[in-house]
Amino acid sequence: MTVTIDLEQAIAEEATTRRRRRRPGSLGAWLGAAWLLLIGGMAVFADYLPFVRGYAQQVPYARNFAVHPGSDFWFGSDQLGRDVFARCIYGARVSLLVAISSILVGLTVGGVLGLAAGYFRGKTDRGVSIVADCLLAFPPVVIAILIVGRLDALSETGFSVLWWHPTRTWSVVIVLSLLSIAPITRIVRAQTLSLSQREFVVAARSIGANRRRILLREILPNLVPAMISVAFTGIAILLVAEGTLAFLGYSVKVPTPTWGYLINESRPKLRDAWWPTIFPCLMLFLTVVSFNLIGDRIARHFDVKEAAL
Amino acid sequence: MRYALSRLLQFLFVFIVVTFVVLAISRIGSDAPARDLAGGAVSQQQIDEVTQRYHLDQPLVVQYAYWLKGFVTFDMGYSYIQSQDVGDMFRQRLPVTLFIGFWATLIGLIIAVPGGVYSAYRRDGWSDKAMSFGSFAMLSLPALVLGVILSYLLSVRFVLFPLIGNYVAPWDDPWQHFRNFFLPSITLGVGLGAIWTRILRTDMIVTLQSDYIMLARAKGMSPRRVLWVHALRGSVLSLLTSVAINIGALIGGAVVVEEIFSLPGVGLRLVESVQTNDLLTLQAIAAAFVVAVVVINFIVDLLYAVVDPRIRHVRALA
Repeated sequence: MTVTIDLEQAIAEEATTRRRRRRPGSLGAWLGAAWLLLIGGMAVFADYLPFVRGYAQQVPYARNFAVHPGSDFWFGSDQLGRDVFARCIYGARVSLLVAISSILVGLTVGGVLGLAAGYFRGKTDRGVSIVADCLLAFPPVVIAILIVGRLDALSETGFSVLWWHPTRTWSVVIVLSLLSIAPITRIVRAQTLSLSQREFVVAARSIGANRRRILLREILPNLVPAMISVAFTGIAILLVAEGTLAFLGYSVKVPTPTWGYLINESRPKLRDAWWPTIFPCLMLFLTVVSFNLIGDRIARHFDVKEAAL
Repeated sequence: MRYALSRLLQFLFVFIVVTFVVLAISRIGSDAPARDLAGGAVSQQQIDEVTQRYHLDQPLVVQYAYWLKGFVTFDMGYSYIQSQDVGDMFRQRLPVTLFIGFWATLIGLIIAVPGGVYSAYRRDGWSDKAMSFGSFAMLSLPALVLGVILSYLLSVRFVLFPLIGNYVAPWDDPWQHFRNFFLPSITLGVGLGAIWTRILRTDMIVTLQSDYIMLARAKGMSPRRVLWVHALRGSVLSLLTSVAINIGALIGGAVVVEEIFSLPGVGLRLVESVQTNDLLTLQAIAAAFVVAVVVINFIVDLLYAVVDPRIRHVRALA
């Protein structure tokens, strides 16, 4: 009798200490979520918000010179008299859209490959692992520049498949998805390997559940926490990748602002005006931090070990 | 020995696949490779010459074989667009990229080794907390952002470093070398240091709890010696893997910092060659970078076996 009471007490104590230990980490994640909601909301509704100007709109009295940040221009204006704040908000639109759609493709393809490799093992595993090895051998930025550049040349030749024509946005999404596949495959594979040894999977198999049921109903739902945290960390990494590509001049077609492009655009004039360059830098940094904080928090909550890309 | 052989086979396979893929990718969207390789508007005679030289009338696999042979023997052809032999371009520009990579790795390790070891030793202490906060922030700070901010603060606001870099060898003029390479290296090194600090810390925490550490302590060995000699040796493996894994990121980072600080390295030429449709330079540089990643990973795999005898004997693990 006493033993059970002790045990229950111990479990309760363990639970409270665990809760206490976990508490301090959440503040950052909440701040991150707030920032993302703010930026995401403004980016989505930019056209309807009264305080966001058009990103290409020149303000008459600020034409052709840079105005300091102030009450009228929150982030100042650039050399052409355009509102830096508005450009940052519209930049968020492209950057986030590209990063999120790429991670979705990466999660789907990488998820399927990793699941297959981890569950069937043997030849499937070896095949998938070699493909992942090859993909990981390409330095991300280098291969991204190469592919985007070549797809540009391809689109100049007038190439198209049915109605699809390779535009810059497409190339960037393709490249970033390609880059995210291999790391995600590795993570999903490792998770599936350990999950498929667990009791509940063995139990399901022993009562004669078929393969499809085991994969979809037993293993897949247990992969979700890891996937969510990978998605957040992955978006952070892809945002940086997109920013880097845009900075080097290889992201979405030029008049559309993205953070990386904005950083590069006013850099030659850094001596005269710091704000058109430094504010997009801060936006990119804060957004990346937010995604990382949330991803990290989710990983700790579900005790995911290998969620780092 | 069997381990080394199986690694070697895998290395060769990946090497051939990735270099072939680079060649194939650089041919995408080029309806007349001979014209692009010869540098755009040229005479028929020149096109024939180029076709002959790079065996463009043969299937891609044969072209690949000739190209790979040229690549390995450093005979990579003559870029008409840059009016320069591609091999000479490498000789001229590679030192810049190598120095950036070397200094960045060194700075990363100088941050990570003491940082990681000390955080693990005084786990959950205030210095550990400060350090993990710092490394998390640095991890989320893209090289692009850090580089631009550093160049604004230290070369525009306070003119301590040149805004437009150029290559000076350290043996010619150490001071000028430092002035040109300090900011780019610190930009990349800080990020690497943050990643490695976290990895080393996690690994060291596990190592410090293992039996052989307890034995060393019980024998009365000084904590310092236990920490820096016994424990660190056990954790070097994961650090080594992480250094190898980050080579790709380091190369990408080098491209970015060369652009930010206008250093005339190989990465900057890669960006230019994509813009000018300089196929020959493009495929040579991309292949060189990919090969660097594959070779370094292979070397680390072998080093692994040297550091950890368990890996040499595959069966011992099973």
